[in-house]
Amino acid sequence: MPSEPLVLAFDTSAAHCAAALLAGERVLASRHEEMAKGQAERLMPMLEEVLAWAGTGWRDLAAIGVGVGPGNFTGVRIAVAAARGLALSLGIPAIGVSTLEARAHALPRPLTVIEDARRDAVYWQEFGTDGMGAPALDALADLPARIAAPGALTGSAAALASPRLPGARVLGPAMPMAEAIARIAAAQRGVPQPRPAPLYLRGADAAPPADPPPVILP
Amino acid sequence: MTKSLTFLGIESSCDDTAAAIVRADGGAAAILASVVAGQTELHADFGGVVPEIAARAHAEKLDLCVEEAMARADIGFGDLDGVAVTAGPGLIGGVMSGVMCAKGIAAGAGLPLVGVNHLAGHALTPRLTDGLEFPYLMLLVSGGHCQFLIVRGPESFTRLGGTIDDAPGEAFDKTAKLLGLPQPGGPAVEAEAGAGDAARFAFPRPLLDRPGCDMSFSGLKTALLRARDAVVAEHGGLPRGRRADLCAGFQAAIRDVLAEKSRRALVDYLACDPPHPAFAVAGGVAANRAIRGALEDVASRHGARFVAPPLALCTDNAAMIAWAGIERFRLGHRDGMDLWARPRWPLDQDAPALLGSGKKGAKA
Repeated sequence: MPSEPLVLAFDTSAAHCAAALLAGERVLASRHEEMAKGQAERLMPMLEEVLAWAGTGWRDLAAIGVGVGPGNFTGVRIAVAAARGLALSLGIPAIGVSTLEARAHALPRPLTVIEDARRDAVYWQEFGTDGMGAPALDALADLPARIAAPGALTGSAAALASPRLPGARVLGPAMPMAEAIARIAAAQRGVPQPRPAPLYLRGADAAPPADPPPVILP
Repeated sequence: MTKSLTFLGIESSCDDTAAAIVRADGGAAAILASVVAGQTELHADFGGVVPEIAARAHAEKLDLCVEEAMARADIGFGDLDGVAVTAGPGLIGGVMSGVMCAKGIAAGAGLPLVGVNHLAGHALTPRLTDGLEFPYLMLLVSGGHCQFLIVRGPESFTRLGGTIDDAPGEAFDKTAKLLGLPQPGGPAVEAEAGAGDAARFAFPRPLLDRPGCDMSFSGLKTALLRARDAVVAEHGGLPRGRRADLCAGFQAAIRDVLAEKSRRALVDYLACDPPHPAFAVAGGVAANRAIRGALEDVASRHGARFVAPPLALCTDNAAMIAWAGIERFRLGHRDGMDLWARPRWPLDQDAPALLGSGKKGAKA
């Protein structure tokens, strides 16, 4: 049983189910499975496998790290709801980590993370040497107007976007997503954090009804 | 005597996020806490529940509701014997968030997990509130459902009939919307109907001319829309008095259909010779006094005890889920961490589908 604080992180914000267990700086166990659906059934068994692999249990955890998106709405909620349930019953913090920040973790700056948001759009965020911009959702075609100096590019849509952002080279991730989430969560563990909440960036796509109510006469 | 069991229940299949603690001691049961966080205001601008908006709210309210229920009951996770959660049917985004939150709690607290059918929660409520004995006749009538069931056991249901299209609660909501009344439509339409003349407008009583217990309410909505448009065309708007008449006529039509179909369902149910005949209703529509009165009449004419749980336990809540979880748990049912959220999950697996078909199968 390692003496450093254990942080269990997981992410289902895209077509995968991923988990990593961190003890201090060391990754004790990790899993990453590609899957388009079925994350809700797979996530908890996977977490139990990761804990068992490292010879640890739920009660040994010091914190939970969870990917809050942006990404697949349902996928993000699967992980966030599980993290909030675990945090409540274990009495430990659950720390929400943006998947854009996780992608940028440990890569050289300046850097722009560009993630596929479907419908010819991307989620993106700039990371400078002294801070980061706000996460945003834009049409792929609008990126050149929005990003002045992208630096290097990374993320699932980096290669797709690079022809529109001349001079920008494309970097692969520094580490698997779940490990990055675990490391960011571990670093924030000492500071009080709000409960993890999904980072949607995109609205709920609901339209008010077209037919107005009748005029009511006395 | 059976062992005392304390369960946490979690419900998030429509637009209410709910958590409750129920303790069952032998035959008696007590609700230690029941928390329901509604979302009416979030959906108000859209004239109905928007699934994605509902799912977003559930994901961030579930653990807060559980925390509040635990605090109100003044117990810790160590005092629980299990976690029950609605695993369907319903809006899948909300159901999935509830199931995942429940899995997280069960795993972290080392508790057994029991997935519950939302409709079984409603159908078993009369046992929680009134200790009804099997078999009893149940009318589930809400914004999303309308069916007659013979409840034979915690996992044994025979569906005698149900709506082939809309649910009455949905028709009440739609009526309120068409008549410029607030949501939820049930109470608003009932209040207006009190001052109206049910005989001024002739509304259809769909499927009364056919044998059996199946119902249809979508034609009634269309009839209401036509009647409203005729009044608006005549008066250049909808006079308040006419609005009350429309509400009264509409409510009477729903009442008559439910009463006659209940009579037929009772005849079928009594044919199986239950030792303690009882007719129970659940769902938000059961709160309507005109409808409730008519159903009560039918029950008493056939010598069946009439049971309508208090409104807070008729509409969506988590106490019914905790209770249904206890009933399933007593039968030895446990779910794994791979518990599956099901958008469609009919209670009676043998009855032919009334709603939904094809590859995805029956809806409810």
